[in-house]
Amino acid sequence: MYHHDGHDLFVIDGHMHFWDANPENWKNKYGESWIKCFYAYHSSLSPADAVWPFDKFCRYGEEALVDDLFRIGYVDMSILNSTYLYEFYKNGFNSHAQNNVVKAKYPDRFLLCGSFDPREEESGLDAFRRMVAEYPVSGLKLYTAEWRNGSRGWRLNDPWTYKYLTLAQELGIKNIHVHKGPTVYPLSADAFDVHDVDYAATDFPELNFIVEHVGLPRLDDFCWIAAQESNVYAGLSVAMAFVHLRPRYFGEIMANLLFWLGPDKLLFGSDYAIWSPKWLIEKFMAFELPEDLKQEYHVDLTFKTKRKILGENTARLYGIDIAAQKAKLSQDGISVGH
Amino acid sequence: MRDNVPCEFPAGYDDTAILERLAQVLDPELDESILDLGFVRSVQLRPGHASVVVQLPTSWCAVNFAYMMADDVRRALLTVEGVRQVTVSLGDHCAAAEIEAAVNDGRPFAEAFPGEGAGSLAALRLTFQRKGFLGRQERLLRELREAGCSPAVICALRLGEVSVRDDTIVIRQPGCAPVEGGSAEVLQRYLERRAELALDCSPAAALIVDLQGEQVSAELLLAHYEAARTVRVAMEANGSFCRALLSLQRLDAAGPSGNTNTGGRDVPS
Repeated sequence: MYHHDGHDLFVIDGHMHFWDANPENWKNKYGESWIKCFYAYHSSLSPADAVWPFDKFCRYGEEALVDDLFRIGYVDMSILNSTYLYEFYKNGFNSHAQNNVVKAKYPDRFLLCGSFDPREEESGLDAFRRMVAEYPVSGLKLYTAEWRNGSRGWRLNDPWTYKYLTLAQELGIKNIHVHKGPTVYPLSADAFDVHDVDYAATDFPELNFIVEHVGLPRLDDFCWIAAQESNVYAGLSVAMAFVHLRPRYFGEIMANLLFWLGPDKLLFGSDYAIWSPKWLIEKFMAFELPEDLKQEYHVDLTFKTKRKILGENTARLYGIDIAAQKAKLSQDGISVGH
Repeated sequence: MRDNVPCEFPAGYDDTAILERLAQVLDPELDESILDLGFVRSVQLRPGHASVVVQLPTSWCAVNFAYMMADDVRRALLTVEGVRQVTVSLGDHCAAAEIEAAVNDGRPFAEAFPGEGAGSLAALRLTFQRKGFLGRQERLLRELREAGCSPAVICALRLGEVSVRDDTIVIRQPGCAPVEGGSAEVLQRYLERRAELALDCSPAAALIVDLQGEQVSAELLLAHYEAARTVRVAMEANGSFCRALLSLQRLDAAGPSGNTNTGGRDVPS
């Protein structure tokens, strides 16, 4: 909960990780360079006092996670993303099974995202059904750039993806988080391309597509799609981190998002542990859109809009009643300080 | 940034041509010179043989774009008189060995990375040249607006009515006093890209055209500008992210070895 001028802001971190990138878990040089690339993002955009040593960054563990999010980071609930990367990490980087360890311990604090890989075709459909039956999966996180058996990625409008999306919908899943942003090993085509979201969003109007990292580095293409598709949302992680070191660009990005998408489709995410919610939220709340941008874009980042971005918009997508959830959380182990 | 590149040239060698050609190599995604972005880590010339170290912001920078930049460096330097061979190194990039082997041998991307998709790099490059066109045009529109030109005036302008004097744009329309204002460099960058895209550059052509070369009407100028503005912001934000990542690498390279536990610091954006 973030307190501001007598108001409580309910915070949902829409994008965070509980990963294991310990050197023992590296399968090859890619496991090492992957986490080092994340660490470069972390070190280059975090305030100096929020930079961790590399070994902690590789495996921070449950206690640090609970502290950084809920005890000092103002976060009330958060969405665990699953990113498998079995070709880089022996036990996976961040699987739904790993994530479920903290979810099971603090069930009201987390929303767990599962995943699928359409390249598993028929044989993966059963595994997907089992995952949804056995784990408390409330959304999906899709990672189209993942390597698999020589393939360097897949697209949301592939025929097998549609079969999985159809099944997900039958199983009652509504929210699909799609990683679009800094990616791994692009093909000669543009692997950052976001246009596949457009097809899937049109063909699955009952599903919500949350484009993580607002399509950066393809912010422009993302904006055209999100402006046209009522079920496409902006996940703000990565963009949020600009607020500290590049406030002007943060302002320009926010002005563009508010201009094309409006205040109801923008969702806060920290990308923890790349960046920590404490400083992100403090700086975000202190940030004011520069006057020239307000005038040029005819938008503003008001307190009301910030409150929507930090929690209300995501609560709406996941059907969370904020008042009821607050009451539940006030009784849990984290709030009462065990 | 280009003053900071360590260079090693034979005694008395005039390095102007080499640095000028390198300055023309762009990061295709960011539409900025790789020299200005700080990607060129060193340049060395031995008789007939130039060696360039290019360090990208992360080892996971897109392989296709990394190939393009390395290949562009090679091609640019082969146009310098007396340079017969070019060796490009990509530092710790995740595909450095494969890219270097192909580029330094003059082999195309598709041959170096078989199976990495059928799309050609030329199509990818064109996509980003077109984005760059819009970004450059947005900056020009901003300059013209700040010089006091109305949408009607801007949309009526012909290329032949716009010129530069020193660092400033000069507009001469029939029956009007000349108007001066705006950066000549912004205009020149726009016109260069317009020519690269083979859009009509004759004196009678409209100054502001869309990607199909069609004149933009005064009624549609605002909507056109708003879209171009987002393209420009996206490119600049990406460039800013790359610079932040690169500044960290530079500090690591300069400082003691070990982990980068120094935190974000301000660098010019």
